[in-house]
Amino acid sequence: MAKYISVLLDDKRMDAIKGSDLENKIDKMFGGQLNAFTLELSDAKAKEIMDAFFTARVDSRSFITDVPIAFSRTLFAEIAKTKSLGDDVIDAVLTQVDEIKEAAAKESEFLPTPVL
Amino acid sequence: MAMIETPPPHGGRLVERVVTDPEMGKKLAKKCDAVYDIKPALSDGVPIRNVYREIMSICYGFFSPVEGSMTKAEVDRILKERRLLNEWVFPYPLVFDITEEELKDLGVTAGDKLLLRLKGKPFATLDIEEIWRIDNPEELAHKTFGTPEDNPEVVQEAFNAKMPGWVIYKSLNPVVLAGKYTIINEPKLTPPFDRFWYPPRKSREEYARRGWRTVINHQTRNVPHIGHEFLMKDAAYTGDIEPCHGIQVNAIIGVKRAGDYPDEAIIEGHEAVNLGGYIKPERHLVTFTLWDMRYGNPLEAMLHGIIRQNMGCTHHMFGRDHAAVGEYYDMFATQTLYSKGIPSYGFPVSINDVPYGLKIRPQNMREFWYCPVCNEIAYSECCGHTKEKQKFSGSFVRGMVAEGIFPPKVIFRPEVYKVIVKWWDKFGYPFCNAKYVKEKEVRLEVDLPDMDV
Repeated sequence: MAKYISVLLDDKRMDAIKGSDLENKIDKMFGGQLNAFTLELSDAKAKEIMDAFFTARVDSRSFITDVPIAFSRTLFAEIAKTKSLGDDVIDAVLTQVDEIKEAAAKESEFLPTPVL
Repeated sequence: MAMIETPPPHGGRLVERVVTDPEMGKKLAKKCDAVYDIKPALSDGVPIRNVYREIMSICYGFFSPVEGSMTKAEVDRILKERRLLNEWVFPYPLVFDITEEELKDLGVTAGDKLLLRLKGKPFATLDIEEIWRIDNPEELAHKTFGTPEDNPEVVQEAFNAKMPGWVIYKSLNPVVLAGKYTIINEPKLTPPFDRFWYPPRKSREEYARRGWRTVINHQTRNVPHIGHEFLMKDAAYTGDIEPCHGIQVNAIIGVKRAGDYPDEAIIEGHEAVNLGGYIKPERHLVTFTLWDMRYGNPLEAMLHGIIRQNMGCTHHMFGRDHAAVGEYYDMFATQTLYSKGIPSYGFPVSINDVPYGLKIRPQNMREFWYCPVCNEIAYSECCGHTKEKQKFSGSFVRGMVAEGIFPPKVIFRPEVYKVIVKWWDKFGYPFCNAKYVKEKEVRLEVDLPDMDV
């Protein structure tokens, strides 16, 4: 069964992809109130992510969730750099697992409060 | 036509074991033979349970008819038949456990009275009726929750160290002091919990004051997203000749797993729903029960039914994966307990239809999702746009919060999100982590008045 991963797009991320073909690949969720990329993962890639991050789980929608924030941040950075939503971006992110885990350890203690 | 009335307490009468006269409390404290300072139980250095919450919930009547730490015969009966020795159904063993060294230091025997201190001050007494041993806590943990072999109707996977409730039972100390608790120095609930404290006697009085004949309870360990709000609103359309008069939120406050929201955000997040007028305050009451969640799905749901019946609720809404973690239980195990029963737990028919069972009425609900075609929050059994549906996934929402993305109004009410951020700012983190749990177990939800003994 296919697995997916969602990359949420706030205003800053929307600006970062402005004018690129990626704009045509945005999923409008919840009546257009939330923008996201949805990446379909091969079984192998999904397993690699699940194996790399012990908090990761598959939710009732078959989406991989509960990955470190650093993972999502790195994933978006790779998407913005390569302008791709394919397995290649996952491969690029997985080469940075050690750095992501290091950042995730810090993020489990403190996260800055968002500005309302 | 018969109108639904407030159900009696489970067991027939509310347990109330709280001495409100400080002089009387002092006298009882002075009669004690030994003193024990309550501390949280730990697993890998992180708090997993504090018996003080059980003492509070027992003495204020949330767990009626339970009156104290259980004897061996009572625990054995619960593990075998999910019943107390007086026949009333009950899901979990509740014990006051200590180490052999602590027993030696205390030097107490059956018949003695133990003074329990909390935060260094007199709190409660335990009249020791029996001292017994847990020979194999891991076996006790398995028997408490069940196994795929013994409970094939609902248990899908063997419980293990990732299941917080299983860890609580596996971590029990070997010596159990069994007997009745009495709170002799009434604790003061601290903000923000103080304004949501409605023990069963008080909640029943509050319903009567508000003119609520029918009340449906919403169980929560979550900050409410819109899916929760619509569950509350729609489930409340049940009742008798009219929808339920009141919607009660009863949050479980206590140690939770990493990734759950802080207790303060949970309780104030629900309050924000009524302060924002999404469910008007006159119809909505936010309350809580002190309990370190066991995440036992149908068993937890049995306890929830007992608590809310004791509080006076006529109805209880149950969704999928009720009070569950992981995939140990079938996602509709709770609804099975309340609809046709779970024979291997001792209930061949609904828990409402067995002798000495529950009187609170279940309202089993399916799912709510956002439907872009209907352009509304839709109920899964109504909406035909299953291909277009967008589900509220708790973990998806948590991911959005963690990334600091302001959630759209169709996911969180802005007032609710502001509560999350308020407590995030206070604790430096939006969810329970080891730091929060450790600090919370020092702070607790109560302070105690001075009492010279």
